[in-house]
Order: sequence, then C-alpha cells, then structure tokens
Amino acid sequence: MSGRSVFVHDLGLEAYGFGGEHPFNPLRVRMTIELCEALGLMEGREFTSPEPATDEDLTTVHSLSYVRSVQKAGRDEAPLSELLEYGLGTSDNPIFPEMHEACAHVVGGVIGACRMVMGGEAKHALCVSGGLHHALRSKASGFCVYNDVGAAIARLKEEHPGIKVAYVDTDAHHGDGVQWMFYDDPDVLTFSIHESGRYLFPGTGGVEEKGRNGGVGYSVNVPLQPFTQDPSFIGCFEETLPEALRRFGPDLIISQNGCDAHALDPLTHLSATTRIYEHVPRRIHELAHELCGGRWVAVGGGGYDIWRVVPRAWAALWAALSHQELPETMPGAWVAKWGEHSPVALPDLTRDVAANYPPIGRAAQIEERNRRTVAELKSKVLPLIG
Amino acid sequence: MLLVRDSMVRKVITVSPETTAAEALKLCREKGIRHLPVLEGGRIVGLISDRDLRLATPALGDPNRAAALEKIRIGDEMSREITTADPEDPIEHAAMAMHERKIGCLPVVEGDELVGIVTASDVMAALVTLVGAHEPGSRLQVEFPNEPGSLAEVAGIIRDQGVNIVSVLSVPSEDDGGSRSVAVIRIATMNPSGVVRSLQEAGFPVLWPPSAPDGSGQGL
Repeated sequence: MSGRSVFVHDLGLEAYGFGGEHPFNPLRVRMTIELCEALGLMEGREFTSPEPATDEDLTTVHSLSYVRSVQKAGRDEAPLSELLEYGLGTSDNPIFPEMHEACAHVVGGVIGACRMVMGGEAKHALCVSGGLHHALRSKASGFCVYNDVGAAIARLKEEHPGIKVAYVDTDAHHGDGVQWMFYDDPDVLTFSIHESGRYLFPGTGGVEEKGRNGGVGYSVNVPLQPFTQDPSFIGCFEETLPEALRRFGPDLIISQNGCDAHALDPLTHLSATTRIYEHVPRRIHELAHELCGGRWVAVGGGGYDIWRVVPRAWAALWAALSHQELPETMPGAWVAKWGEHSPVALPDLTRDVAANYPPIGRAAQIEERNRRTVAELKSKVLPLIG
Repeated sequence: MLLVRDSMVRKVITVSPETTAAEALKLCREKGIRHLPVLEGGRIVGLISDRDLRLATPALGDPNRAAALEKIRIGDEMSREITTADPEDPIEHAAMAMHERKIGCLPVVEGDELVGIVTASDVMAALVTLVGAHEPGSRLQVEFPNEPGSLAEVAGIIRDQGVNIVSVLSVPSEDDGGSRSVAVIRIATMNPSGVVRSLQEAGFPVLWPPSAPDGSGQGL
C-alpha cells in the first residue's frame, strides 16, 4: 500500500466550536495536530490549507433559507425565536460569532480533501475537523451545523457523473444526517456502526433503515448494544463492512472517524479502546486499495474525552492513513504541556493497556445480541447491494 | 396527531352485501388490505376481513374452491356487530377498543357516513410519533413520587438546563403499589449529562442512562 497522503488543516478550522462548557471543544483538534507533530508523524510533510465552501457548495444539501439563517445568527441579526426552528441557539447548537464562516470552512476542508483524492494529487487525505454527520437539510443537530461530508458527496456527484461513493461511519452515534441525504440513492452507500438508538441520540440507525425507492439496500446500519467492547465491535465490523463494500464496488471511500465509542467517552455507553482506532483505519485503508485504487478520504467526528482519547485516536488515524508506524510512547513535552490544562492524568502510552479494560460481567450477553443483529443484517440487507 | 381523524385512512375501499367472496379477496390482494367495510345504500352494514373470507371458503387446492368463491355473497359472511370510531375520538380510545375486542380495525363514521378507517398499523404509526421516536433525541428514564407536581418538577429541572422535551410518557410503577412513577422522556440533546446530574442531585433516580456498565440492570 502506498501513495501520497495529505493532512488538510489550518487555524481557520479550529474556529469551529461552541465555547464555554460545551462538550464540542476545538482544543481537541489543536491537541491532535500538536501530538502528530510531537510524535514525528509530520516530518517532511506540511498541512494543506483549504478554501472555504461557497453558498453554492452548501446548498447542494442545505436549503438556502437555512444557510441564510446561519449567516444571520453569526452576525447577531436574527431573533432567537426565528433561529430555534432551524435548531440554532439550542443548548446543543448555540450561536457563536461568525459561525457561518467557521462552519463553511470545515465543509471546504472536506470538499478540498475529496477533490485532491479524486484529482489524483493524493491517494489519501485527512481532515479531522470534518465529520459533522448529524446536520440535516434545514436544521442544525447534535453539535453539527453544516453537513460537510454530505456537501462533498453532492459536489463529487456533479463533478464525476456516475461516481459511486461509500461512506463509512464508526462514530458512536448513528450517522443520520448523511444517511437521510442519500437515502434514495444507490450510488451512495452509507454504512454506520454505532450504539443502538434505543437510548442514545439521535435514536435512529436500526437494521430496518435500509434505504428507500432505488436506494433500498444502500443504507447499512449496525446498531450495537450499550457497553459493547473491542472484540464484539471489531467482530461486527469485520462481518459486515468488507462484504458491503465488495458488493458495492466504490470509486471512493469516505470514512467518518468519530472516536466517542471509547470507554472513557462521557456521552456514550460503548466501551471500546484505542485498539479499534488502529483496526478501523487499517482495514479501510486495505479495502480502499483492494477496491478503488486507494482513494480514501478520512474525517473526524465526535469524541468528547478530549484529553485522553481524541488526540491519540486521531494520531493513530493519521499514522494509518500516511503509512507510518505509530510510536509507542507519548512525547514527554506534549504530555507536560497539555497535562497543565487537563483535569485528568494524561496517558504516557499511545495505546490503551488491555488489562485496564477487562471484559465486563454481561459481555457474553452483549456479544450474543450483537451477533443476532449482524445475522439479520447479513440475511436481509447486505444481499440487496450491487 | 392525537385524534382518530389524524391517523385514519380517508380513501376507504368498500364492498356491498352482493359482492362475491372472489371479488372481495381479489380486492384485498390487489390493494394490500385486510379489512373491507360493507355498505348498503351509503350506510355501513357490516365488516369483512380476509380472515373471515378464508374461513368461509374451501382451502387453496380444493377443487370446489373456485365455484364456492363465486357463489358466496359477502352479506352472508360479514360481521354485523361492528365497533366504529368517531373522527374526534382520542387515538388511545381507538387503540383500547381494538385491544379489548381483539379486532384489527375500526371503521370511522360521522353520523351515518363512513369517513375513514383506522387499523392497528395506523395506531402503531401514531405511537411512534407520540413517543417522539422520529425526532433526534436522547432517551431518559426517571423515577419520581406519584403525586401532584412531581413531573412538573422533573420538567422544570430539564427546562433549567435549557433543553427541550420531545415527548413524555409516564406511568405509575407496578413494583411498589403505585407510590412511584416512571417517566420515559425524550430530550432534544446529544448531551444529557447535565440534565442527569441535576435530576440526581434533586433526588430523582435516573434509571437510564446508567452510571456504570454492570450497575444498569435495565433489561438490556
């Protein structure tokens, strides 16, 4: 496996955040960037700065009235009552100054990453600020204002008629926004493995959500039981993703690499470790080379233990995407610098120690439930692809 | 959304007492339906289901079946004792009527006129809307004393966190003689942790989300 890898990033992308005590904190991106540098994973490489998305880019998947509302919200020109119907100004999606510019920059980052890969400038590209998968056509939802991957796929479909895009979402929350945007479309396969929506936001993502009209079979959902641990997570992923992608035959894979399935994440109830954050990108990397000439764009997503989990998960993602070995030890200077700000002790190894995450009491039951979910998906949904 | 008229199907496919079993079964098959109201002179006089029809006719493969299907008139096989609903009935009344009488549908009448039909699957669809399962949200399960003002207090705590409520279902708990209630509340946030903390601090046990993997015991 080889090919040039690009890390799309600039300071403008770090403006996307809601401030205060809000769990979506752009500091996690800063810490990731500095960790990649401190680990030596940026040696001889540069960050590539993206162009912000235009209104035309955004209205491929969002209504113009919604885009105008986000613009007005960021300039303090609209009353709250008017914004609430667009999901803006809620506790999840508070208004912040120049929010349109910050959000459009993220979309531009992901569109830029996709164009570089489709244009042959790079084989793989990463933009950790992207992955805002809950944003809906006319509504901000779950910390997401604009749907960067949705807009990027819509643009690619215009620029490369007939292109087939596979979207692979391993965030702990269901990738609902992207799914609904392409629910009818057999040229866009959306695959999401996540904690069951019976309790967790957004509540959707059951096996029976399999697409509509011509798109039946092209929405694949693997809802996992709360407290699923690494072996069952990886088992379910392996049982479903390779088969789905091989049946589909993509021209490009876009992966959403939210890292909130980790046991330490405060917002979800999955119990994974950094093991899945090495396994998932490695497998997607292999499948990209097997199926679509290596064309792979990776984006970030959720991840709310910003101190111990996000920087390590996304440094592992960059290492996998850029064909580098992940060093074992965390750089002392990085730990010292961020340790001063962190309310929790920072790990000194890049990988979790398995002994710290023993199987929980109900692991066998949980695995059995997950196995049944996968069996249903394999008999009822995967055969519909291709 | 909470009344029969919001959930009923308005275009009702009907038959007359003179319709043959063959015609009625064909209608059920073609339209993908299981119940046919029977009209005479514009008034509803009976109801027939595909199950009634199958019971009244020779089995598939029986050489006499085709002839029998042509001969049987709906008027002879239909149920004449029919339970109907009013468009203004609350949907839960329709659900209760169907549940108690073990029937799968209710014709909806206004005066003498048939204006719609509501089936078990329409009631299920209303339930999905009622619990807010179609709106992005997180699910909370909270316990509180079954007495005036308790639920309001719970709602007030959620309001103070600036979080909107998508839906609420609340029932007295069967475990302790009804002195406690349990509410299932869907809230429009990806981050229920602030709400959970404040509810616990105010003395309301939160049954979901759990604080520890093995302490949940919520029948997952």
